[in-house]
Amino acid sequence: MSGTVTIEKRQSRTTRWLLAPGIIWMSLFLVLPILMIVYVSFWTQTTFNISPEPTLASWKLFFSSDTYTGALWTTIRIWLIVLACTFVVGYPTALFVGLFIKSKTLSTILLVICVIPFWTSFLIRVLAWRPMLGKEGAINIVLQKLGIIQQPIEVLLFTELSVIIGMTQIYCVFMVGPIAFMLSRIDRNIIEAARDLGAGFGRIFWKIIFPLSLPGVVVGAIFVSVMVLGEFATSGALSGRKVNLLGNIIITQVGSLKWAMASVVGVILTIVMGFVIAGFLRIVDLKREL
Amino acid sequence: MESRILKPALGLYVALFLLFLYGPFVVLTIISFQQGPEGGPQFPIIEWSTYWYRHIFGLTPPSRIAPLPFGEALLRSLTLAFMTMVVSTVLGVMSAQAFRRKFKGSGAVFYLIVLGMMVPGVLTGLGVSLLANNIIGIERHWYTTAFATHVAYTFPFAFLVMLAILNRFDSSVEEASWSLGVDPWTTFRKVTFPLIFPGVLSAMLFAFTLSLDEFPRTLFASGRDQTLPLAIYGTFAVEIHPNIFAFGVLTTLFSFALLSVYGILMAMSVRRAKKMAMQEDIE
Repeated sequence: MSGTVTIEKRQSRTTRWLLAPGIIWMSLFLVLPILMIVYVSFWTQTTFNISPEPTLASWKLFFSSDTYTGALWTTIRIWLIVLACTFVVGYPTALFVGLFIKSKTLSTILLVICVIPFWTSFLIRVLAWRPMLGKEGAINIVLQKLGIIQQPIEVLLFTELSVIIGMTQIYCVFMVGPIAFMLSRIDRNIIEAARDLGAGFGRIFWKIIFPLSLPGVVVGAIFVSVMVLGEFATSGALSGRKVNLLGNIIITQVGSLKWAMASVVGVILTIVMGFVIAGFLRIVDLKREL
Repeated sequence: MESRILKPALGLYVALFLLFLYGPFVVLTIISFQQGPEGGPQFPIIEWSTYWYRHIFGLTPPSRIAPLPFGEALLRSLTLAFMTMVVSTVLGVMSAQAFRRKFKGSGAVFYLIVLGMMVPGVLTGLGVSLLANNIIGIERHWYTTAFATHVAYTFPFAFLVMLAILNRFDSSVEEASWSLGVDPWTTFRKVTFPLIFPGVLSAMLFAFTLSLDEFPRTLFASGRDQTLPLAIYGTFAVEIHPNIFAFGVLTTLFSFALLSVYGILMAMSVRRAKKMAMQEDIE
């Protein structure tokens, strides 16, 4: 009896030692920095510096300025649109890869093909949309050659649309992967049984396939949301500085050494982020799905 | 199923999807062969040439366009990615190993680790810079502050990969080793580690590639000396030339080489595992 107790004790000590480095690293370099942002958002900003006298000045400035509150709404709008686009674009692909292809090898190959573009630098991938969407860009050239349009479409580049197109392309794979994974785990016998009982594909899809793929959708949505909400490079490079997200505001504020204001925007971004992730995690328990 | 209509339709859709996914890369490759130094990063192609590839390596006569300042940045990024890979894989294996036993507060620890991949990079970068500047009072460098943020980002990926591997791990082999009186550390080294090695390789690959291309965290946290993504970002502000696209093609090819090495290592470890299993059967 006492023997088992000591083994228990030793094991739990091992567990503590195994976990300690990771917990310390994450506390010091993740949790503490975020708390620091919250703290600094109440600091006093002078022209080129900040000092720890507490003040609400930066917070008041944020909510009294249309530029800043506008950025908040733009961020939420772009996030929702891109989230919807990645879902709409990604789901049918995931359906094909995860459910319709019987061969495991073939579906793995298709997934690898989807991931290959990620081995090009993120920033260069963003930049590649410029010759694609421009007035003399690839899309306009192709459409004109096909005779679909006479005049080049000019709204494609340096607008909100170009930001949405770019982000959808860059992030849709994060939707495809998790959904395809969940779909591939569906027991085919259930679908078979439903069909034997006379259900059509539409009914099978809404009653069986979609609900079972929902955890994948949620995981994909978390990935996409995290990345889109913190974005600034795509919006900066493809909108010609017309689309300002919260991320862009942080960059410009830090650039002009307005650390307190950058922190206020950072806190707002953290709050938005927290709500979004908590909302998604209410739908699905991430730890159980692993 | 209505596979006669639905499956081909979905297949066609996937083809269009891949076109969307690869379109920019195709255009990027085409434009990297633009004539230089006059040709810009747009259509039409004036004349096909490898000018911009030679330009990257400094093999062209000097022109008004400066060569990309990427040499040192690339070296820094590779070093940083290697450091990040080692540390986050070690942390990932350790934490995942701990999670094999139930313990109090496991939910909280799980979310603490996973938080690293959920917090936008720009926030981690900002927070760490604030901490370094205003509390500790140290200079920011790619190998200190930026390194800390990189590990905080890639460690969760390594952890999740290892967790998935260890969840499917048959622990009876370990128990056999323990019951033969082998101490836990030797058991881990000789029994557990070889078996989870494919997973470790995946975790390493994840950490390395994520760190190599990491940008928002590095932007604030790295201080004066730039890593590769920062150097690329620097060219955004000035005029863009096709050399950046040529560079993109080259780095992609480099990544493929890296991926092939990973594939070969993976195949070797799988073959070795099979061989070992066969030997056991004979014995």
